[in-house]
Amino acid sequence: MDYPELVKLIPAEKWGLISDQLINLILASKNEEKMPRQLADTMLLHMKNGNSESKSGLAALLEASVLLEPEKAMNAFCELQLPTVAEQIKAKIATMTAEAI
Amino acid sequence: MLKFGIEFVPKDPYWKLVAYAIQAENCGFSYLWITDHFVNRNVYVTLAAAAIYTNKITFGTGVTNPWLVNPVITAQAIATLNELAPGRVVLGIGAGDKTTLEAVGVKTGKPLTAVNEAIDIFRKLINGENVAYQGEVFKTAGAKFNFKIQGKIPVYIGAQGPKMLELAGKTGDGVLINASHPSDVEYAVKRASKGIQQANKTPSDVDIAAYTSFSVNKELKKAVKAATPVVAFIVAGSPPSVLEKHGIDLAKADELRAALKKNDFGKAFSSVTPEMINAFSVCGTPDMCIERIAELRKLGISQFVVGSPIGANVKKAIDLISSKVIPQFVE
Repeated sequence: MDYPELVKLIPAEKWGLISDQLINLILASKNEEKMPRQLADTMLLHMKNGNSESKSGLAALLEASVLLEPEKAMNAFCELQLPTVAEQIKAKIATMTAEAI
Repeated sequence: MLKFGIEFVPKDPYWKLVAYAIQAENCGFSYLWITDHFVNRNVYVTLAAAAIYTNKITFGTGVTNPWLVNPVITAQAIATLNELAPGRVVLGIGAGDKTTLEAVGVKTGKPLTAVNEAIDIFRKLINGENVAYQGEVFKTAGAKFNFKIQGKIPVYIGAQGPKMLELAGKTGDGVLINASHPSDVEYAVKRASKGIQQANKTPSDVDIAAYTSFSVNKELKKAVKAATPVVAFIVAGSPPSVLEKHGIDLAKADELRAALKKNDFGKAFSSVTPEMINAFSVCGTPDMCIERIAELRKLGISQFVVGSPIGANVKKAIDLISSKVIPQFVE
């Protein structure tokens, strides 16, 4: 499942809260080298235009947080009681790990 | 109305710093200052990225120096930034950090003359003049840009010592006072005001900024913890006269300095006392910070710069400043 599809699993009323949490997660991360430049630019453009809480904005934040802080991103969705999203992130982590091997 | 500025150190990748800059812009900050040290990422490249992703915040070097980059190239960089963000760019310049400059083999001398001449060259180039300049420190045989610069670019002078403060008041469009304690800021404002008077300007002609080391958190303990490393380095770099002025035990400061030299950060940071935190930072809960900023404002500052470390978590600290601190100073 790609990231825009993943966003559809999140109730729209939680997009604002989740956007803020993911930005925090990304900015606090020490794994900066894992951020692809193009994704960084997409994220910044959404922030500039006030679209971080939109579907595409949230998709970019989700992708960045899974790349930089996969475990923390997954735990955040568990805490937010969104197990379906957490499961999807878990699957993405498994794919990323397999690709790395 | 008191303006708020924010300082970032480009030790983080550009995208993090730009994200904070966007947040700061949305949170009511008017000025963005990026530090210029060769050990970190380049200030102009960082400012260019910030220019592209922001819409209204004014930004500049916080601060560059006349030594490491020739003033002609500094003017070129600032003028180019002004094309990216017309009317939103300022030059911040000061004498530079001697230790850092010596590390790259740059010989410094006559800091007042160097800063003054660099500003002179900068302004002439920005005005589109062909600059044949015969200064004591800088000489140009005929420098001119092949492109036009739109509008005026203000110059802010970073200052701490009495003569540089006077020069800043006299020559600058703004003064960046490198201090956090009211007694230091009071002294600095007086010296800068002397320069303003000498130039027959009025106080409102010059933006006087307290460029502070700042740390805010809902919990005092966390604010102090974040401020401690920054304050440790300030204490280590301060002469005995400055430490004594703030009632700081010189033996304690020596102990701290020795620990830093040995890279024993645990010992160094544990040597930081509450007196040191109070002298060299604006630190505490939002209410405590508001009280200190109000005190500084009464002394005559027109801009308050939230400098490093800002808080234990920069994003949360910016949110806290935006929701609790800035509204207290909106008229």
